[in-house]
Amino acid sequence: MSTFIFKLGKDLRRNKIIYFMLLPVIAYYAIFQYGPMYGLQIAVKDFIPSKGFLGSPWVGFKHFEDFFGSIFFWRILGNTLLLSLYSLIFFFPAGIIFALLLNELRSNKLRRAVQTISYMPHFISLVVIVGIMFDFLARDGLINNIMAFFNIEPIPFMRSPEWFRTVYISSEVWQNIGWSSIIYLAAVSNVNPTLYEAAHIDGANRWRQMWHVTLPGIMPTVTIMLILFIGKFMSVGFEKIILMYNPVIYESADVIQTYVYRKGILEANFSYSAAVGLFNAVISFVLLILANTMAKRLGETKLW
Amino acid sequence: MKITWSKGLTVMLVFVLTAMLISGCTGANTIEENTKANSNTPSETNADEAPIEVGYPAAMTYWVGMDGDSMATLSNFNEVGAYKELEKITGTKVDFKHPGGDGAQVTEQFNLMVASGNLPDVIQTNWLTVPRGPQNAIKEGTVIRLNELIEEHAPNFSKFLAENPDIASMIKTDEGDIYSFPFIRGDDKIKIYYGPIIRTDWLNKLNLQPPTTIAEWETVLTAFLNDDPNGNNKKDEVPFLFSAGEVRNEALNQLIGAWDILAKFYQEDGVVKYGEIQPEYEQFVTTMRSWYEKGLIDQDFAAVDGKLKDAKVTGDTLGAFYGFASGSIGKYLDLVKDHPTFEIAPLPNPSLVKGKNSAAGQISPSYPGEHAVAITTAAKNPAEIVKWLDLGYSEQGSMLFNFGIEGESYEIVDGSPKYTEQITKNPDGLAFKQAQAQYMRTHFGGPFIQDVQSFLQQMKYPQQLAALDAWGQAENDIQLPPMTLTSEESSELASIMNDVNTYSEEMIVKFIMGVEPLSSFPEYVENLKSIGIEQAVTIQQAALDRYLQR
Repeated sequence: MSTFIFKLGKDLRRNKIIYFMLLPVIAYYAIFQYGPMYGLQIAVKDFIPSKGFLGSPWVGFKHFEDFFGSIFFWRILGNTLLLSLYSLIFFFPAGIIFALLLNELRSNKLRRAVQTISYMPHFISLVVIVGIMFDFLARDGLINNIMAFFNIEPIPFMRSPEWFRTVYISSEVWQNIGWSSIIYLAAVSNVNPTLYEAAHIDGANRWRQMWHVTLPGIMPTVTIMLILFIGKFMSVGFEKIILMYNPVIYESADVIQTYVYRKGILEANFSYSAAVGLFNAVISFVLLILANTMAKRLGETKLW
Repeated sequence: MKITWSKGLTVMLVFVLTAMLISGCTGANTIEENTKANSNTPSETNADEAPIEVGYPAAMTYWVGMDGDSMATLSNFNEVGAYKELEKITGTKVDFKHPGGDGAQVTEQFNLMVASGNLPDVIQTNWLTVPRGPQNAIKEGTVIRLNELIEEHAPNFSKFLAENPDIASMIKTDEGDIYSFPFIRGDDKIKIYYGPIIRTDWLNKLNLQPPTTIAEWETVLTAFLNDDPNGNNKKDEVPFLFSAGEVRNEALNQLIGAWDILAKFYQEDGVVKYGEIQPEYEQFVTTMRSWYEKGLIDQDFAAVDGKLKDAKVTGDTLGAFYGFASGSIGKYLDLVKDHPTFEIAPLPNPSLVKGKNSAAGQISPSYPGEHAVAITTAAKNPAEIVKWLDLGYSEQGSMLFNFGIEGESYEIVDGSPKYTEQITKNPDGLAFKQAQAQYMRTHFGGPFIQDVQSFLQQMKYPQQLAALDAWGQAENDIQLPPMTLTSEESSELASIMNDVNTYSEEMIVKFIMGVEPLSSFPEYVENLKSIGIEQAVTIQQAALDRYLQR
């Protein structure tokens, strides 16, 4: 320990400009991320705005008990996990596959064009995206009109609980596939070209090269991205859900974070929603540690 | 390729990730601590002195949500004729703070404002429905008790309360505190504005009588569906547009009154009951289910919003619906000009038994709760603000808020005010209410007494006046009065009702669309009971008992 401090002191002196540049970042996290954790105490209190955090009365685990006993507990927990699981299965690999496919394109011009076009939706505001979805998927919208042309009964996509996850995930893939492939493309370009040559000489075709050279080459990046993805597992894109959902599809669309929003911000049950939010954070934390341990067991790549 | 993470970076990442995780999920705790606990009731300071004559405040901040009709042409209430004139009279510079957006967004901003303790001088909102109720808002030090201030500095409002003891008891909490300068509907005619509307030209074409019972409705709607009343040889008619939300809204009570209940809380001889667990509610849902199956109800009813409704009415496909006297009848008669026979008229609320009136329809109490102005603990000069707000209840203030500026928005004809063409036929093509919004507040509401003339003059078609009579026929004895709850009751009730509302909003739609079989109705009632609906009834009963004792 003392050697660590000694080393740190030496390093501080040597690279003080660099450490100085780190300060704003540390300040940001201290003020906006760690500071507010002081308010977490309202999860075990009945928060009364005029009495402040400290003055509000203690109630112990009342809000947690209320939440676990609520008839909505299993539904919103299940919805959150399912939606996250689906995006892990369908959205997460999409970026990787897209990057691999792009890598196989021979024409540089075409590749750049495809890349640019596929990034574009990422920069459109969510509100606009969801607005477009409502227009396209409405009962008299584009998709249903095309289906009517083939004599398929119209489907009220945005009003059917059974369609919510499909619509959510596929629009997510459409909007972010290009963006999420960037990091994999960078990793792919880092793979040593001599490996491809060796594989080629050994008689591997394009498919084999991809399978045995490219994929293992980007595997460490994939693992890190996966751990980061699992860290965000419980915080599904709730802004998008709030824009998309309505009481008719709560059954599949209501997740922990939208519930927290309705309870806390709309109904001013700040303590209750702080408790629910804390529960969510704890699950995320556990998942992250699990994912990291798994990665450690399976290979050398890990977050810490 | 192998990624080796340096120790420093690892530490940083763990730091960052943990921070992201925890902070990302607990947005509610960024609320600033608020140590403002000083509920200085000004009455204490001058309790034993004679009332001191105060002036108008030099400036004040005023938080109020903006309505759609105002948003059409205004960005701030300082542009409203009445407020311009008030500034001339009092010299008070009012800094209006308007929350952005509407509906849930306004609620959100209100809750965050109160939680942050960053309060303006006065807040206009529905104080009956704020979280934990108005009594608690006084106890927690958000707003102040106004009784003494009103007695001393609000002669006009005091006079009104003395002349209307029933309203005076409505605007108080159970403990007798006055918390706001309320919006008052000054006449029984203003209290009714919503009910059933039907295409009378369709009725005439098919030789049908206006229906008054649920059975007659079914006959008429079936004819609308099958007999091609719009005459385009296509079966595109939607007989009836049903709205589950308006059934469950105690202020509107669509259709449900026919079954002698309301969807949520109602009372019979002072006994509070809850509608959705009654057998009558099951009958109602069963009837609606069969209507839906037969195609009498719009198959998309769960997804219809105002715009779609307008499109269906003006597109000559909708036969019957619930709507508003000016917002629907007036609007549609204005909009549909090129149709040869288009004619709509109000129907009385239907009942189950011929010759009997519906038990309940829409009726607003004299004090609806909305648009009430409370003074917060942040106000430095509450007495002066009270004097300023009192103007709204004076003769002069009443004219300003109800009719605007003489010579511009109204003129006195035969001793009574009449809107000018600036309002009735706006040169810029604005709708009646949008034109009103530029001069006054009566089209929406505010801290004053709404004048019956300002309401009746909006009605340019005889059907609109007929609507007030037709819709007013409902008995309207079972609705609950504007009661107030204690802090504990309020948070317990809110907690129960939030779950109940989320659950019931879903279930009514599922029952009617057949997603959930009617045989699971008993299960639905059991679930409502397990959420605690019986406890909610007990709370409401206690509140009603206290209200009746006021």
